[in-house]
Amino acid sequence: MENTNNVAAVKSKPQGNSKNTAAHIRLIIEKILVYVFLMLNVFICLFFFYILIVNSTMSKDELQGVFTGIPSTHFFDNLKSALNTADVDLPQATWNSFLVAALSAIVTTYFSALSAYAIHTYRFKGRKFIAGFILAIMMIPSQVSSLGFLKLCNQMGATNQLWVLIIPGVAAPAVYFYMLQYLQATLPLDLVEASRIDGSSEFRTFNRIVLPIMKPALAVQGIFSFVGSWNNLYMPALLLTDDDKKTLPVILANLSSKAHSQADAGQVWMTILIAIVPIVVVFLILSKQIIKGVTSGSVKG
Amino acid sequence: MVHVATAQQPKKKKISYAKWGYIFLIPFFVVYLIFTLYPQLLTIGYSFTETYYDLDPIAGSHWEGPRFIGIENYITLFTPDANGEIRILKYLGNTMIMWVICALPQFIVSLLLAVIFTSNRLKIKGQPFFKTVFYMPNVIMASAFGLLFFELFGSVGPINKMLISMGWLKESYDFLGHEVSVRTLIGLLNYIMWFGNTTLVLMAGIQGIDDSVFESARIDGAGAFRTFFTITMPLLKPIFLYVFITSMIGGLQMFDVPQILTNGQGTPNKTSFTLVMYLNQMLGVKNYGISGAISVTLFFFTAILSIFVFKGITKDNKN
Amino acid sequence: MKKSVLGLTLATLAAGMLLGSCGKAADANVLNIQCWNEEFRGFFNRYSTDEGKALLKEGKLMDDDAKKAKEGYHVDGVPVKFVETPSTDGAYQKALDNALEGNAGKKAADKVDMFLAEADYILKYANSAVTQDIDTLTNTKIDQSHVYNYTKQAASDASGHVKGISFQCCPSGLIYNRTIAKDMFGTDDPAVVQTKVDSWEKFETLGDQLKAKNAHYKLTASFAETYRVFSNNVKAPWVNSANELSIPAEVVTWMDQAEDLVTKGETVTDGIWDAGKTALIKKDPKAEDDKAFCCFGPAWYYNFCMGDSKAGDWAVIKGPQSHFWGGTWLMAASGTDNGDLVAKIMDQYINDAGTMQALIKNENQFTNNQVENQKAADAGHANAFLGGQNDTALFCEAAKSIKFENVTAYDQYCNEGLQNKYQEYLVSLKTGNGKVTREQAINNFKTSMKEQFPKLIIK
Repeated sequence: MENTNNVAAVKSKPQGNSKNTAAHIRLIIEKILVYVFLMLNVFICLFFFYILIVNSTMSKDELQGVFTGIPSTHFFDNLKSALNTADVDLPQATWNSFLVAALSAIVTTYFSALSAYAIHTYRFKGRKFIAGFILAIMMIPSQVSSLGFLKLCNQMGATNQLWVLIIPGVAAPAVYFYMLQYLQATLPLDLVEASRIDGSSEFRTFNRIVLPIMKPALAVQGIFSFVGSWNNLYMPALLLTDDDKKTLPVILANLSSKAHSQADAGQVWMTILIAIVPIVVVFLILSKQIIKGVTSGSVKG
Repeated sequence: MVHVATAQQPKKKKISYAKWGYIFLIPFFVVYLIFTLYPQLLTIGYSFTETYYDLDPIAGSHWEGPRFIGIENYITLFTPDANGEIRILKYLGNTMIMWVICALPQFIVSLLLAVIFTSNRLKIKGQPFFKTVFYMPNVIMASAFGLLFFELFGSVGPINKMLISMGWLKESYDFLGHEVSVRTLIGLLNYIMWFGNTTLVLMAGIQGIDDSVFESARIDGAGAFRTFFTITMPLLKPIFLYVFITSMIGGLQMFDVPQILTNGQGTPNKTSFTLVMYLNQMLGVKNYGISGAISVTLFFFTAILSIFVFKGITKDNKN
Repeated sequence: MKKSVLGLTLATLAAGMLLGSCGKAADANVLNIQCWNEEFRGFFNRYSTDEGKALLKEGKLMDDDAKKAKEGYHVDGVPVKFVETPSTDGAYQKALDNALEGNAGKKAADKVDMFLAEADYILKYANSAVTQDIDTLTNTKIDQSHVYNYTKQAASDASGHVKGISFQCCPSGLIYNRTIAKDMFGTDDPAVVQTKVDSWEKFETLGDQLKAKNAHYKLTASFAETYRVFSNNVKAPWVNSANELSIPAEVVTWMDQAEDLVTKGETVTDGIWDAGKTALIKKDPKAEDDKAFCCFGPAWYYNFCMGDSKAGDWAVIKGPQSHFWGGTWLMAASGTDNGDLVAKIMDQYINDAGTMQALIKNENQFTNNQVENQKAADAGHANAFLGGQNDTALFCEAAKSIKFENVTAYDQYCNEGLQNKYQEYLVSLKTGNGKVTREQAINNFKTSMKEQFPKLIIK
């Protein structure tokens, strides 16, 4: 942590002794209060996951009984029935979600970086205007275009096709904006010049020299695109009606509207668990980079 | 193409490269024109027409329109219904109230956490752990969270069972049937999902403040509170403005959580029904005229609120 | 650097797979069936598919396990594909309308061959060109001499062409809990219990008596239990010939009754499909748990709405007023390229004696074949869920009085919409916070109807 260093610098100021003891006690009390406060928030964050995990281990009948908070033994039964139910094809939905999210992440980051590179590197006519234009359209909520988008997909006969959820990622103003900021901070134009002198083509320079430099930004935005796409319900719910094309959020939305007396509650909990586990695992592995990414730049809120 | 560029390279540098700016922007603008601008123009166009899928039971289902009707859809949107309510304003109100329920505690807690994490005095241990835990809900799909809450707070769900077995409730409380509890649940859910993110962004803002400012305040003998209000807050204003506006725009687009929690109904009495849920519902029944008008109205609400907030905060800055 | 090339290669590969999965090369014939829940699919898989029939020969019933679902089912070698869309908010009808549009011009693999429809909206499809006369499916006509007349009438267009068949007949009754009946009346004999609830006055009085006897007794398991008794006996349609919408008087009576029962705490504000209702009829209630005396429903209700309650602890009687609820029709989609299979399946579900008896015995159904129902009733059919009661005999009698009248194509939207909006009023009534008034609830219902059907005139 960067701040610990300057902490030491400030702390080293000598202070009066008696005052020090009183301040020390105060500090300890403050610390206790702060940790209590932190733990309270930890509790809020983890409590619901705990219940989710506990309930995913319980049978339908146990779920109807008194809530104990103690895990039961039906985890694998539920897992089996969630994966095997004829109603929803969970493996297929997971695969669909993964495909859309992964490709969106690649497409979004690559082309946003390319667009940002174009604005950053080249001095062409209308550059300022284009840069300003992209900034302006960033503020328009995506839902505003959803009707036309739906209509467009109908015209193209592209409902129930996953690629229409991926290709629009090429034009992602917010990601572009982040990339541009990153480039301005990290890419000296001399480097591009040097590469040209080496005889590299412009496209090659971007792919071979610039992209590697942008790796941290690509990773951060890639993860955000992945998460955003993985979790997206709005457009997929309107577009995907075929059972074998549905993504996880659409399946979950269907589950909640499904009649309760028909559904096996243990199986429903398990389905939720399956829907969130992959992303949590990815997050925990990459949490350091993600947190750095959020802290170092703007994220869509 | 690659070879041509290489061959020209030794002679003229600057002039021949400018075109690459355009070339590299082609994908962005082609996709933007087809998948964003064209749909947006379509949307605006439809908002001035009567276009809907008529489920006519006698003549059979068929499309009606598009028929140009001027601003009639907008008039319909802003005409009070049988209950004397202008629904689109009611839904805007719902959306904003639920956003405030989530945003107010979020800003306070996030500010506190950001100050705590960056505090030189407290030296909080285990920061990576706390940050990871606080941020984690943000990566989880709102629909899964919504379904989770739907199950948890159902009339026979674990929360009710727990409260009853602890003797706090006599009979189960219909969390999803009451205005206050539904809105609070939606706010709480959004709070859980976003406070970690806001904390990290605010932390970045505080870390961006020059250390010497804090140091001189310390030498002046300023306490933690005074430092916070006289130094941290004013210097944090730009980033706070950013957080505020993005959060508000995000709030205006609230959809997944109330949609799943209330099964798309916005129960009770549409008090948790949001603007985007309204849009979604009208798209669902294929009333494209009204959907278009809602979309355009949503855009204006967003723009007006953003300008309002921006003006308000910057004006405040000058005084 | 290599990584970015690798990334691009991967992306290209994945994109290839994506496009590949969109346009399956061969246009093989598929039997496409649209439905809104798994009820018929279960029967179909067990009694109509090649796989199910093979198991039946071994004396076993097909259990929908994953392996089978993955491999798929076939009828006479043709693969079967069910597309299921929940019917909430009319979503099923919308999906169906989408799928049926331009059906004849679609690829064989995408053509809808058959779809399922409910009583609430069957008129819309029967009167439409998207369905075809079942006699035109093949050269031979399907024998319809044993079906209940109302099921035929419901599936006919204005000129009398029958567009589908129902695989069930749905006279409905009052399904009561035997344990509570014994506690109240000293007996659980259906004949005696019927005398206690043969009018609405007696029924409502019983609510008070139940509460007095045991504070945990509720009269019905949901505010909506009695809804269909009223709504399927309306004397005027929801929407008249002038396209005017008004709430039928019988439904208003139901609204009063529901309000009364909720106020007195004799029923709950959970819907009939909700977890709160299921909890009232659960298998092993403890002394301190609330328990419901009765539900209202036809034969399909046992499996479908009472699946988690204790088998053997229930019995069915006529109740205060005779009524029916629903039915599920198999409709022949225009443009089907599997007419012979569709006809064969339809014939099976109204004429095949083996299937009829299996539906009654294994699935607790009441079939759409008068002769086979009577046969089962006369043979002393004993329904295990009802503690051995011969419900088929009771329903044979009740089915005679079913009339399919005053039905409109809007009924599903009206029935569901009104119950949903009215439920919000009842919830606020129960807690006394008065957030939603009865008038507001009714207005909300009418507004939502107008939003969905801009042409309706709201009365």
